[in-house]
Amino acid sequence: MVYYLIVCRSLTYAQRTAAALERAGITARILRSPKLIDREGCSHCVKVAERNLTAALVILNRAGLNPKRIFLQAEDGGYREVGL
Amino acid sequence: MIYLDSAATTLQKPPAVARAAAWAVDHLASPGRGGHMPARRAAEVAFACRQAAAELFGVESPEQVVFTCNATHALNIAIRSLVMPGDRVLISPWEHNAVTRPLHALGAKLLVAKAPLFDRKGLLDAFEAGLEAGPAAVVCTHVSNVFGFILPIGEIAGLCRRRGVPLIVDASQSAGCLPVRQEELGAAFIAMPGHKGLYGPQGTGLLLCGGREEAFPLLQGGTGSASALQSMPDYLPDRLEAGTHNLPGIAGLLAGLRYVAGRTPEAIGKKESVLIRRGAQGLARLPQVRTFQARDPACQSGVLSFQVAGMDCEAVGEALSRRGIAVRAGLHCAPLAHESAGTLEEGTVRMSVSDFNTPAEVDRFVWELSRLTAASRRSH
Repeated sequence: MVYYLIVCRSLTYAQRTAAALERAGITARILRSPKLIDREGCSHCVKVAERNLTAALVILNRAGLNPKRIFLQAEDGGYREVGL
Repeated sequence: MIYLDSAATTLQKPPAVARAAAWAVDHLASPGRGGHMPARRAAEVAFACRQAAAELFGVESPEQVVFTCNATHALNIAIRSLVMPGDRVLISPWEHNAVTRPLHALGAKLLVAKAPLFDRKGLLDAFEAGLEAGPAAVVCTHVSNVFGFILPIGEIAGLCRRRGVPLIVDASQSAGCLPVRQEELGAAFIAMPGHKGLYGPQGTGLLLCGGREEAFPLLQGGTGSASALQSMPDYLPDRLEAGTHNLPGIAGLLAGLRYVAGRTPEAIGKKESVLIRRGAQGLARLPQVRTFQARDPACQSGVLSFQVAGMDCEAVGEALSRRGIAVRAGLHCAPLAHESAGTLEEGTVRMSVSDFNTPAEVDRFVWELSRLTAASRRSH
């Protein structure tokens, strides 16, 4: 499975992000960001399925929630940043 | 024991508060410090508490709800965020040492908006005049912790907004028993304890941040975020929450917030006001007792100060304690308030109620005080 990781500026922001997505019926799980994608050391991200990313971004935009960065988590375990 | 010292700390709490705090000790770790279940559960409880506070107090986002140790801690952050050494700061005459001591330590020049006790119009005029001096900030309590005077905080906030002067509200005595809405006040910061009208455990407090002013982190340290950087994060709440959270306290506070939201602050305040009027009417029948009661009941919360002629206030407090009644005597950490009311030399005895007091308890308090004053008359 391919997932997207929506990196957030703080744990609380990630919780707001996940709550907004869950309210809209999109499964969203909060994770500590993998070290490979974490530039500042210790951050949190919200994991969503590949098929839900577009809808998720629309919902977050409506809610005024801005992802810091977004990464694609490929099946081989690698990460690739996605332009916002 | 009849507990009438809720202005210091509410002792009787909803049973869910102790249950939640005890459960947290065994089940919650540190939010944001791990991906394991105890850390995730802790993060969920902390977020739920922020959300509950944001809803109850009309705060735009849960990120603007910062956990502190108490209201004093929250006020210190707020004051350090807005006041520079030597700045002029306008305050009410009813401020607690939690406001005046940090301002004194900063070397701030205090402008006091002087007006008689329970005089709302006079106070507003004094604030309007004080704002002419161009203060860097206004710090104002919502309710006097000594006299229960409910200050016209909405109108004071309006004056500050029109002048563009940031406002810090000390909601220590109003949070949980009066409507306090950040969105309506537009305050830069609102500070409150968790352990009084919100019925949380001691060691909890909240700072509601307006979000426009940069907040000053009193403590520096780990936040579980941006750990590679040596400066504190520039976003809330992390910027103001260095170190491990008091999760048992936060879990208990969440239970307290849910209780208050279910009852509503308006209903709790109304009950407390009725109890205080009952107590004041009872004390007014005792010849030696002087009460500090507002003519307009809408001006007074669940706090009442009184003095007994010929008796030291501490002696009255001690004597009531021996009769199973807990009140507080002295200056109540608010010498400015006592100076403003002319009671700095003698102090007062303060009774203060919560949602868990009953009319029968208030009547028993009045009866015990009547016996005490009668005994005092006989001994003279």
